[in-house]
Amino acid sequence: MLTGPEQVAFVLLALVCAAAAFTGFRNIVAVVSRGGPAARGDRLAARFAGAFLDVALQRPVFKARPWVSVFHAFIFFGFSFYLLVNVNDVVEAYVPGWTAIGAGGAVGLFNLLADLLSVLVLVGMIALLVRRFFARPKALEFNPTVVLRPEVVAGGVRRDSLIVGVFILLHVGARWLGTAFHLAERGATDPWLPTASAVSGLFAGLPEGALTVAVHVCWWLAMGLILLFLPYFPRSKHLHLMVAPVNLALDKRTPRGAMEPVADAARPGATTLTDLPWPLVLDSYACIMCNRCQEACPAHATGTALSPAALEINKRYWLNGHAARIAAGGASPPLVEFATSPEAVWACTSCYACVEICPVGNAPMMDLIEARRALVFAGEAPGELAEVLRSLDEKGNSFGESARKRPRWTRPLDFKIPDARKQPVEYLWWVGDFASYDPQCQEVSRGVARILHAAGVDFGILYDAERSAGNDVRRAGEEGLFESLAETNAALLAECEFERVFTTDPHTFNALKNEYGPFSGCGGYEVVHYSTLLLELLESGRTAPARRLGGRATYHDPCYLGRYNGGFEAPRALIRACGVELVEMPRNRERSFCCGAGGGRIWMKDPEGATERPSENRIREALALGEMDYFVVACPKDLTMYRDAVKTSGNEGRIEVRDIVDLLSEAIGDVPREAAA
Amino acid sequence: MAGDVLVVAEHLGGKLADVTFELLGRGRELADGLGGELAAALVGGGEGLAAELGAADLVVTVDGEGLGEFNPESHARALEAVVESVGPRAVLVGYTAMGMDLASTLAVRTGRAHAAFCVGVELEGGRLRAVSQLYGGKMNVTTDLGDGPCVLSFLAGSAPAEAGRKEGAPRVEPLAPPPAPGRVRFKRLIEPEAGDVDITTQEVLVAVGRGIGGKDDIEVAEELAEALGGAVAASRPLIDAGWLPKTRQVGKSGLKVKPKLYLALGISGAPEHVEGMKSSATIVAINTDKHAPIFGFAHYGMVADLFDVCEELTEIVQDRKG
Amino acid sequence: MKLIVLMKRVPDLVEDLEVDGSGRALDAETLKLTTNEFDEHALEEALLLKEATGGELTVVALDGEEVDKMLFTAMAKGADRALKITGAGAVGSNLALARLFVRALEGRELDLVLTGVQAADDRDGQLGPLVAALLDLPCVEVVTGVSPGEGSVTLHKEYSGGVVAEFEVDLPAVLGIQAARQAPRYAPVSKVRQVQESATLETIESGEGGAAAEGGFEIVQMTPPETGEGAQMLEGVDELVAVLESKGVL
Repeated sequence: MLTGPEQVAFVLLALVCAAAAFTGFRNIVAVVSRGGPAARGDRLAARFAGAFLDVALQRPVFKARPWVSVFHAFIFFGFSFYLLVNVNDVVEAYVPGWTAIGAGGAVGLFNLLADLLSVLVLVGMIALLVRRFFARPKALEFNPTVVLRPEVVAGGVRRDSLIVGVFILLHVGARWLGTAFHLAERGATDPWLPTASAVSGLFAGLPEGALTVAVHVCWWLAMGLILLFLPYFPRSKHLHLMVAPVNLALDKRTPRGAMEPVADAARPGATTLTDLPWPLVLDSYACIMCNRCQEACPAHATGTALSPAALEINKRYWLNGHAARIAAGGASPPLVEFATSPEAVWACTSCYACVEICPVGNAPMMDLIEARRALVFAGEAPGELAEVLRSLDEKGNSFGESARKRPRWTRPLDFKIPDARKQPVEYLWWVGDFASYDPQCQEVSRGVARILHAAGVDFGILYDAERSAGNDVRRAGEEGLFESLAETNAALLAECEFERVFTTDPHTFNALKNEYGPFSGCGGYEVVHYSTLLLELLESGRTAPARRLGGRATYHDPCYLGRYNGGFEAPRALIRACGVELVEMPRNRERSFCCGAGGGRIWMKDPEGATERPSENRIREALALGEMDYFVVACPKDLTMYRDAVKTSGNEGRIEVRDIVDLLSEAIGDVPREAAA
Repeated sequence: MAGDVLVVAEHLGGKLADVTFELLGRGRELADGLGGELAAALVGGGEGLAAELGAADLVVTVDGEGLGEFNPESHARALEAVVESVGPRAVLVGYTAMGMDLASTLAVRTGRAHAAFCVGVELEGGRLRAVSQLYGGKMNVTTDLGDGPCVLSFLAGSAPAEAGRKEGAPRVEPLAPPPAPGRVRFKRLIEPEAGDVDITTQEVLVAVGRGIGGKDDIEVAEELAEALGGAVAASRPLIDAGWLPKTRQVGKSGLKVKPKLYLALGISGAPEHVEGMKSSATIVAINTDKHAPIFGFAHYGMVADLFDVCEELTEIVQDRKG
Repeated sequence: MKLIVLMKRVPDLVEDLEVDGSGRALDAETLKLTTNEFDEHALEEALLLKEATGGELTVVALDGEEVDKMLFTAMAKGADRALKITGAGAVGSNLALARLFVRALEGRELDLVLTGVQAADDRDGQLGPLVAALLDLPCVEVVTGVSPGEGSVTLHKEYSGGVVAEFEVDLPAVLGIQAARQAPRYAPVSKVRQVQESATLETIESGEGGAAAEGGFEIVQMTPPETGEGAQMLEGVDELVAVLESKGVL
């Protein structure tokens, strides 16, 4: 169909564009391979098969923003099919006499799909452009204190979006119009091309020469643009269509709650970009800059300088300007200067929401933790955090308290909890710092002890030998201290006889369950959260509620129980078993909104400029559900965080923060509930 | 002579410190017990201040160049000269910023026994026994200092100052300043910035927590603090809420304070807060919640409405001051 | 600038202190020690001075429980050398300790000796002035900030009520540090471990005499001050006023 000179021109253009694109792609490979080590080479076939299935079903995209995801799906399916369409169009251009138009059977079906999907792509793309440029959603804006590259401030992301959007409209639109011109040229319609046929009617009266020119122009717009776009790909976020599936295939497959250890103890964490493990460098190329992570981030939602999206975007824009330098072995400036800020790094609650929600498999949270590791090692941890770390090192707890006073919470009990160091027990209870030392949490701990004791459960504690499990020490970036705590604790566990470990603290639960494996003496036992244990007691009839409490409650999923470890249902079942009506908050289960305490945040001051606390934001969410009696939690830190938040948000008396065991104690009845502090 | 007691007078900006009068009161008792005289050493104070030391029998003054402002080296040397001239059995020094520069130095240079952190002293058959409050106030430790000369440095506020505020006409004996090496030179005094009070140096703190109703309630607390001659401090939530500046925060992430009186209003007693104030000499907690953990740490507690107590107490205090 | 920091371990006050059977000493079995918090500040101020002047910093401590860790931690923070005085056993007084420190410093170049302004167990005076008096060096206590000069330092000494006096002190000198210009830095555990593997502690024998000879003034009694568990509950403002009166506030 193309004329001879056109055919030659297309080949030449293809060669030039491919050559230009090659450097860009080669640099990306070189940049990513400069990253630190990470083990991702296992089960590659399964990894890629799984990733392609996810992409094909658009599963990661549909986790959020349903309408946007529908429009994205239109474009995705259309574009995927266009791979075939483009091949056909090249064949049409070079093979005399070949055209799909007018054919029936399989080719007819091809025409039908191409025709309908073209319209869907155009609809989807126009919808997304209208959203971005006219509806201007707040989700695409950053907090004023967020560090942004100058290119981003200058509207780089918008410009890139516009270029990509217009390219898609022109590429698909031109192909679709070209088909219509073709049909007009032939003076016929094709039932396999319903929309193109309908549009072709508009061109019916045009002279044949004009129609031929139009067909050629459309072909060049559709196919020439593809070539021109090739060198732009490595610089554009549109690259996600190639990198995202790879990124999803190569993401971390070990348990969410098992953090990757420090690679080099002499230089832990990441100061510069290439100090990051390579998958985190790759993240920046996969990022589509949709800001979903930022929308899910409790730190950004409360006005801080942290935006996980900005972090990835900054990395990418910096790399766009300096890829050759990095590929040649150079170094980037410190991450906390060009990609983010120390304030942002310390604002992270390690809640995992950003990683969970990311449609392209990025883990911006891990960048922040790598940055923390480097900052801690350089002695740049915030003062309050440093003080707590010192206490954890010296005393084994975050309260700066005497280790000897750890078991004091048991004193008011009228029975003695067995010492698991001295006698075998079925359940070893790892109590944790908050549940041991915080006066409000101590009441909850006693509630648990009373129920277990009454149910005849054989359990024991480690008294003053227990130390913090170190979950948040690790997430605060102090790997050495985490290891030291874990070594001590693991040695202690190795000396005790027990069948299962349980804890009320999701953070402790996570560390013991997922992170103690590499330490000697650990393993061969199950770790359960008390919600699971209590539910088992109910189901086996060892304890039973004597009455229905009534009232309405909502339940907050703790990050380290829910999102990290999938513990969603046991607490809910317990609440219902107490005869309380459970109403879900909009953000529940995987989408739960962090209380703001995790990752060592509970030990630090509120970030500068924060507009509210995540916990206050959450209380507002609960109260928006209407009249609510209880805000139920299953984590000692949550109890203190939300009781505080109810007070500081001025909602005292409107909702009562209660632990699940507190509800259960009341429902069982024979264990007196201690008066709330 | 052998039974004499020498009190080191401390002054700043032309004003004698309270601790001086506390020591004079104590010194008198001790001198009576030992059968000696009560002397006071006044270095760089001038004639005017000597007149205020009426509780003493003898005031030895040392004035001269470089002694007008406190100087750790030259004042220590001058004091040493006074001690040599008076030859007292016991020298009483305040355990204060200035006294800390003097007591240990004097003890070593004059070969005297020294007991620091003193809150009391007992006389038993000619032997002196000093009671030191050590370990952050957790132990009272009695040391037998024997029957020789000694230095005792007393914690401020360990005795009533009134006992030492007496009219009197002590003999005033000037002593020529000894030569000082001049290795320490006073440059200037820096007054605290007008911006805000330093809560770590206040003797009385009225601390407010989130148990108070709202920002307006802080005014009530401020009135009470003013009446008591102290300042308002707060726990973290109030600082976070922007109700008071960061300089007023007591606790783990704020300041650690050790006032004579810590009046905790509506403070539940979270460990982060308690850490910053548990060393206060007297803690009085007022809270509406009788189960508030603060009552476990406070010396005195009261379950009451904060507003009512504050207003009533402010009135009483103002009345007394007349 | 040759900097020396004297550090000591003191009873950890977050523990409940118990008196032993003799009634004259803390119960050694339940006693837990920690680094004197003011010594941590002295170290921090010294580190800042070292960073500003490019000096050499040596930390000195008496051997004892967890002293190695304390010294390695100081080195992980940036101290160049650590010196441990061994063989002294239990030292009963600060004067004895000061003598041991003075002996350990004999023959060493020094410009500035920094130590904590006080410690919770300073029964017979503060280490700084004791060491200074023995060495006949000038000493200033309650120091909150030091700036280096030529052959001298300018420093701030805190009086009560927020008033600060500025002094110029000729070197060599001894300073009792109340607070460093910044909070004591944190030494990450992995760095401490690395130092532990690569660095060595210098040791010096205390020699004869030293400790025991100075224990002259003996403790005859040790008792916790009389305060009840928990708050004494007051019934009304009148009772409150009475309390304030008894405490000398009114």
